[in-house]
Amino acid sequence: MNAPSGHPRSPLDHVRAPRRVEWRALTNRAPPLALLAILLCLCAIPLPASVAASIASEGADTAHSPAAAERQACLRCHAMPTLAYREPTTGDIVSLHIDPHALADSVHGQLACLDCHRRSYRRYPHPERAAPREFDCIGCHRDDDADLGRQWLGIDAEFQRSVHAVSTSPRAANFDCHTCHDPHRFRPAAVGEPLTEIVARHNAVCLSCHRRLLEPQRRSHAWLPNRDAHWQAVRCIDCHTPPAREANHEVLAAEQTERNCVGCHSSDPRLLAGLYRFRSEEEIARRGLLAQALFNEAYVIGMSRSPLLDRLSLIILGLLILALAAHGIGRYLVHRAGRDSRGRA
Amino acid sequence: MTTLYLYPLWVRVWHWLNAILFLVLIASGVSLHYAGTTWLMPFATARILHNVAGILLTLGWIGFVIANARTANGRHYRIRPRTLIGDLIAQTRYYLHGIFRGEPHPFHVEPERKFNALQQLSYLGVMYGLMPLLILSGWGFLFAVYLPPTLFGLGSVWVVALTHVAVSYLLVLFLVTHLYIITTGETVFANLRAMLTGWHRADSSSTSRSESS
Amino acid sequence: MNDRLSALLASRPLRRLLIAVGALALLGALFSLLYPLVFETYVGKVNAPLTFSSSQTLNDDEFEALAAELSWSARHAAAAAIVGGDPESFERQVKIEMLMQTPSRMREHEPSHIKYFRDAGIRRYEGPKTCLECHATMRVRDQEGRAQVVDTLDDLVNSVHFKFQSDAGGGFSTFGYDGRRVNAPGTRPIPIGKINRACGIPGSFSWTGWAALIAARPEAAQGAIEMRSEGCGQCHIGGNYQPATEKMMPIGDVPEVAKEGIDCLICHAAEYDMNQRYVIEDSAGLRWNQDRSLRAALTVGQATTRNCLLCHQHNMGGDAYAHNEAAQALGEHNPRLLHKGAKRGNPFSPESDVHAAAGLLCTDCHVPQGHKIPRGLMGVDLVANDLPEVEVSCVKCHSEAPHNRSQHKALLNGHLDRLACTTCHVRSLEENNVVLRDWVHPTWDPEEGIFKATDIYRSGAVGQGFTFLWFNGNGTFLANALGNHPDGSSTYDPLMQQLARIEDPEVIAAVRARATELKETYPHIDIDDYVRAATDPLSQLTPEQLEQRRALLERNLRVHMDEGQSKLYPFKLFNAMMYEDLGNQGPFGAMILPFDYATYHETGDSQAAMIQAIRDPIVRRMYETPFKLYMMDEFMAYFGVAEGWRTQYPLASGELRDVEPRWMRQMGSLKISHGIQPVGRDCIECHSPNGILDYQGLGYSPERAAELQHLDIVENLRPAG
Repeated sequence: MNAPSGHPRSPLDHVRAPRRVEWRALTNRAPPLALLAILLCLCAIPLPASVAASIASEGADTAHSPAAAERQACLRCHAMPTLAYREPTTGDIVSLHIDPHALADSVHGQLACLDCHRRSYRRYPHPERAAPREFDCIGCHRDDDADLGRQWLGIDAEFQRSVHAVSTSPRAANFDCHTCHDPHRFRPAAVGEPLTEIVARHNAVCLSCHRRLLEPQRRSHAWLPNRDAHWQAVRCIDCHTPPAREANHEVLAAEQTERNCVGCHSSDPRLLAGLYRFRSEEEIARRGLLAQALFNEAYVIGMSRSPLLDRLSLIILGLLILALAAHGIGRYLVHRAGRDSRGRA
Repeated sequence: MTTLYLYPLWVRVWHWLNAILFLVLIASGVSLHYAGTTWLMPFATARILHNVAGILLTLGWIGFVIANARTANGRHYRIRPRTLIGDLIAQTRYYLHGIFRGEPHPFHVEPERKFNALQQLSYLGVMYGLMPLLILSGWGFLFAVYLPPTLFGLGSVWVVALTHVAVSYLLVLFLVTHLYIITTGETVFANLRAMLTGWHRADSSSTSRSESS
Repeated sequence: MNDRLSALLASRPLRRLLIAVGALALLGALFSLLYPLVFETYVGKVNAPLTFSSSQTLNDDEFEALAAELSWSARHAAAAAIVGGDPESFERQVKIEMLMQTPSRMREHEPSHIKYFRDAGIRRYEGPKTCLECHATMRVRDQEGRAQVVDTLDDLVNSVHFKFQSDAGGGFSTFGYDGRRVNAPGTRPIPIGKINRACGIPGSFSWTGWAALIAARPEAAQGAIEMRSEGCGQCHIGGNYQPATEKMMPIGDVPEVAKEGIDCLICHAAEYDMNQRYVIEDSAGLRWNQDRSLRAALTVGQATTRNCLLCHQHNMGGDAYAHNEAAQALGEHNPRLLHKGAKRGNPFSPESDVHAAAGLLCTDCHVPQGHKIPRGLMGVDLVANDLPEVEVSCVKCHSEAPHNRSQHKALLNGHLDRLACTTCHVRSLEENNVVLRDWVHPTWDPEEGIFKATDIYRSGAVGQGFTFLWFNGNGTFLANALGNHPDGSSTYDPLMQQLARIEDPEVIAAVRARATELKETYPHIDIDDYVRAATDPLSQLTPEQLEQRRALLERNLRVHMDEGQSKLYPFKLFNAMMYEDLGNQGPFGAMILPFDYATYHETGDSQAAMIQAIRDPIVRRMYETPFKLYMMDEFMAYFGVAEGWRTQYPLASGELRDVEPRWMRQMGSLKISHGIQPVGRDCIECHSPNGILDYQGLGYSPERAAELQHLDIVENLRPAG
């Protein structure tokens, strides 16, 4: 890392700071939300000092920081949308395009390219040996902040149990973090981002390999009512991870995945704990309970109900039955009294 | 004693079909709503049952509306604005007060008028107000994919869901009340019998009772 | 029976109905009989039964001899393609003989129709009639693979190849200067295509320039007159006295006799003889002869590249192109005039195009659907399009990452987002590519013994004969490419700059030299004025017209320039000086007036030739109210003239009114898509201070332009591998 440190705090830091506090508070409050924490820590984790400094320097003076200049030099070519070649062994088109906007928005957006890539990439033509040093997330993030560092290793442990790691299929060979997570566009879900977009973004990652699922003749997932609606509203991993524990990266093989409607369609659904819990916690914090109840953008059948309203409605129903019963008893008493008096008369 | 043929066969068949569908829908709907609770039916079963019953209910409702428009039965749903307020007050007063005093029914069933004002209003509200809402929102669920993403600025599925839940809850309240009110006829089972046989028996007991009091 | 009839007639309503039906039937019969006659009289074009001398009956012996010869040569060619060795050696000839006698070669390489004709007893080719005996209907597959059986003749008659116009009602990527898409839903569709468009390259309309016999006095013949053939009909497949004018009307069809003139064989016969293509005169007028020999007919099959190029090399490589086969067979009588200035100058032949060299057929990219042939979605010129929805593009075969050989393949592929493949892979055009053509001041060609339009400037060089423009698939009514810098630019303004101005000093000097030469023949020419008008055609506009032009561009065309995704494409540039009807003028030009070819080429009196041409009845009709209302008002609206068409006929009692020679107000831009070179341009050709791309003119900011001109990567790479 060669970014100079000691720059003044940038306006960008002010934007980030409250979110960071909020999420850390959240993870402290709800320890079981490991999954959530993993998601959040990507953004919330205090970056190494030098990176933070580079963020600061970016925010202060984007055009002139060395990291920015270096990114700009690389992006001169790599921002070309069609920068690509066909891999001779497979015939597949390999894109070398880096979307500059996505990169800028990503968690790595303020890094210099050579922080991760070989120094010899500074010049074009690049060296023939394309593979940079082994770097996956753990390579950089393992030594981070002590209490969050455990999460990185936790993710790695989850991944090592996942079908992606244990599969012997040749298609799963060399599967690593970057197979799914493009470090050039990786970012956690942002506050206010519509759920459907989060879901679409997540599932696009899965479908980029599992694209045959979308072929019209495929019967996969046919058991799932309203399959397409589910695919738009639920992340693949919401079903394809172990139900018992929250382990986002422990992706299960298809046959191990439970077909469990009630897992989501109930008052204590997995979705609430995962995807939607994140949303509701977020928004409750932002807008309060009532607004959350009224403006919930996503509805899951059997799940939308607020316990408060449910309880209220049951109480009203009970009261009605009580009132009717009282009315009936009254009528019966009057009837009996009338019969007695008539009898006496 | 007078007997009136108040409920033609189609009304009775429709009514009891409707009753069965209501029960099925409530049972399956509750199972869906409170999915995961042990003593309810399985989600998958409930889903299919609810859909089928809902579609049948829709057909029944359409049949009812058409039949009401084309037969004499519709006249029972025509409000008489001139006497409405007075009738309402009298009826409410009867249920809250008179019934305990053994007062006579303020309303007498006639061939032209089988509902009292309170009944008429609530049936009107249920059949032409709540039922269409229930059916529309139900079909909204069935075709949720084709709904626009938002309705009135809210997520449309959410609007549909809220409507459906709220209306069905109100209908449950109606059903409970309805079950109780039918016991307030001449005898506890008089109205039930009428809906089974079609014949409304206004036996002289009411007259005699009113004479006696 | 009679009773029943009288009973029927007794009922009054029924009687009335019968009378009405009878009257309608009578009217219909009268109409179909009379309408063609009335129409022919109205437009002054004729149709008559056609005969062709090459259509001869053979007896059985002659047939078999011909069949044996054709079979032998086809099989011999197929076998010779396989057998290697010394081409002259006896050994090789024996091997070829053996191979070509094998049953499989007999089966696969003998022209299929020898057997069909033999069995069916066909001993004479009589035109479409003969083909339709078996091919009355055909199966047509659309893009999605859906099959449909259509009437073959109908399919053909309604194709652009026959009627040179598109079905009214859309399919154009062309925008009028009034901002409307031509013939889009909501507009009143008008027939559009070469049928009714005067053009500065041929200098005439298809109506007035269909077929002409020219008395030439070549130097070699020492004053003797030799007749030469000229006209649009030399390529177009209708063998009639006129183009398919009937198809312009909302009702009526081309008469059956005209359909009998269709030349099926020029597209389908492997052995078509272009020496049969010349103008003949009979009692009804002038028309183009065609090869209807049984020899040609026996070799029919799917259209091959050779068939397409019999006509299309004329407008791609040009008549003077060394490998233009048709230009080697100009006609056994009245040989066709050669057009020495090339229309596009981008040949399609193995010598000049990598796809032709790879043996690709035209129809591999332009995949036909029946007789409808796609020309792609990116049409800048306002010509008809049979299949406007069908894509024809490089990436359909080459993928989005076409470069595989170069070390810098990824970088090269990176350019695809901004550049069309042709921008790098068409290096130059033929040298005789005509850029500026003066029809008003013809030059005597002693070799051919005729007067010809003077090509003031020809060049195939980049920046001179062609240039690069942003193009998003939209074009204007006068064939100007529309597009804009993809990041948006308000300075890129091709209709005020690139297409309206020639600034290259070399070109200007060349134009001046030609003008000086012309002045020897035409002393009234003011050289400075001449050069200015030719290289700065906007100087012919008044300040008000210029202002109006700018306003129309900004208001109506800017939005269509910004649509879609623009890339840089190469465009051949062209302008012409012609006589114009200034009564029908707008800020983008005036109605150009055609020339009569015979008068023009024989006398060199361009004005007389123009007057002769506009005496043609159909040009007179153009200046009458029915034509105005039917077509011309809408035409003028697209032309940027909201006031509509003025019907003042430019010729009043022999005197010209409001007619002046003018250069068109901007150059046309013709998209270059053939003549593809396997090795594209070098980086340095664009990325250098004096590169072929004028970045600032193309809407790049000065900083970005400077950056693109001085790329360290390119400098590090030199010379590129």
